[in-house]
Amino acid sequence: MPSLREVESDLRLALLGGDDAPARAWIRGDGLAPAARLAIYRHHVVTTLTAALQAVFPVVCRLVDERFFAYATDRYIRVDPPSGPCLFEYGAGFADFLAEFPPCRSLPYLADVARLEWAMQRALHAPDASPLPIRAIQGVAPDLAASLTITIEPSVTLLPSRYPIDRIWHANQTAEPEPVNLADGGARLEIRRYGDAVVFCKLEPAAFAFRHALARGADLAAATAEALAADPSFDLGSALVTLFRDGLPIALGHTPPTSGGAPCHSQP
Amino acid sequence: MISASGLAGAGLVGIGLRAPHLAEIIATPPPIGWLEVHTENYLGGGAAPRALARIRSERAISLHGVGLSLGSAEGLDRAHLARVVELNRRIEPALVSEHLSWSSAGGAYLNHLLPLPYTEESLALVAAHVTRAQEALGRPLLVENPSSYLRFQHSPIPEPQFLAELARRTGCALLCDLNNVFVSCRNFDQDPAAYLDELPASAIGEIHLAGHARNEADGHIILIDDHGSRVSDEVWALYARALERLGPRPTLIEWDTDIPALVVLLDEARHAEAAIGRCVAARGSRAVAA
Repeated sequence: MPSLREVESDLRLALLGGDDAPARAWIRGDGLAPAARLAIYRHHVVTTLTAALQAVFPVVCRLVDERFFAYATDRYIRVDPPSGPCLFEYGAGFADFLAEFPPCRSLPYLADVARLEWAMQRALHAPDASPLPIRAIQGVAPDLAASLTITIEPSVTLLPSRYPIDRIWHANQTAEPEPVNLADGGARLEIRRYGDAVVFCKLEPAAFAFRHALARGADLAAATAEALAADPSFDLGSALVTLFRDGLPIALGHTPPTSGGAPCHSQP
Repeated sequence: MISASGLAGAGLVGIGLRAPHLAEIIATPPPIGWLEVHTENYLGGGAAPRALARIRSERAISLHGVGLSLGSAEGLDRAHLARVVELNRRIEPALVSEHLSWSSAGGAYLNHLLPLPYTEESLALVAAHVTRAQEALGRPLLVENPSSYLRFQHSPIPEPQFLAELARRTGCALLCDLNNVFVSCRNFDQDPAAYLDELPASAIGEIHLAGHARNEADGHIILIDDHGSRVSDEVWALYARALERLGPRPTLIEWDTDIPALVVLLDEARHAEAAIGRCVAARGSRAVAA
């Protein structure tokens, strides 16, 4: 008599691992073979998870067509099944999977389109947060400004791509997509929730570098250095005004004064 | 009785609230007692939980969980339970339910209400998990009977007895899904009415009604609990029988695939209300005759 843990582990192997021999041994035939009974459960698992992924990645699905999408998700579900029961959180690894999936090699932009759709999904369900007013930063002492960190609103993703994924996405919202020229170049996108709607926009190189650095936890000195590297005409004052006007900062902090791991900044 | 108090003042029949009907239900609140949602769809931030809170301000809500995996041998997911508790705190639902099943193994969530072998080991484990969930929630759970397409070689306790003993040990109530009773019993050549009679009447706090599909597998007809059509005539007959035995109970119309216009769900709800009306009238006339 198997333990419950053995039974569940063997069923998992049958439903996701492609080997139902161990599970078959625990199941009664009752007129229909155990393998056929397991197939009913496997069909439900794969079709419902595929539908969940299709709802999150509609443009990827359209770019590759539904049959190929089902083929890709069937593989993906087996290597990276959901880790928890909230299916709106499932699919974080799908873009990386597509990037490494040999049959997708001829579509180099596909993984980045998936990253854009995942960022939109994340934004839709991100925790609610209250933006800080700009006066919050006006109270920061000048000698502490360089080590200031700014926590960015949790729905935000900053996504760079070598491909015009914003135009690919927009083109696929219509019945008859206009062709998109991949040679038109890449995009630096900011994706977020605004009210109840998910929106994305293109950012200039310096603004993108600045916000991307802040979102990774860099302090103001380090984020400014990255922005200046992207565009020497970067203006910190107006970038901060815009950042607050967009409602992105939700908390302020400081990098530790002498930590070796922190971005460099001036301290007496 | 646990459930009736939670729905005091509301009609006894509810429908499952599904995304395609959300805007219509907010714009034109339908004449329906209560709404049931899948807990796991409302555990993030953004518009969905806000809409639910708004609907909750006007009518009773039932939180129907599909993800606690009460039968997982590897234990309850504490982080998930904490999120469920937090949503319960905010929504203050009239009913809170989960399933007699498991979905998680080896760190993977399989997105299916998978069957358990009905053994003393399973009973002790599920009872411990139900107790822990009830302690965290600060209230009793309703535990739903599953629909099944397989049975285990070693599963000595009949399902209704397993549920009855679970209710006795933990104080949980039972959510009797009559479509699941019908589907499982037909799939294993058992009598749905006999199954129903084995359940402890006083523990049943909610009834689910839904449609099922008839599929053929290797020349064998198997019923699939797909919640994709109207309630079948046989399940309506089982409902009438259940009402006769139990008296009126909070009753839900569930529809999850090929979701039709809201009016179709409301029409199914009218059928259930009429059946409750007939049950109340019959009981009344029996009381007068006595």
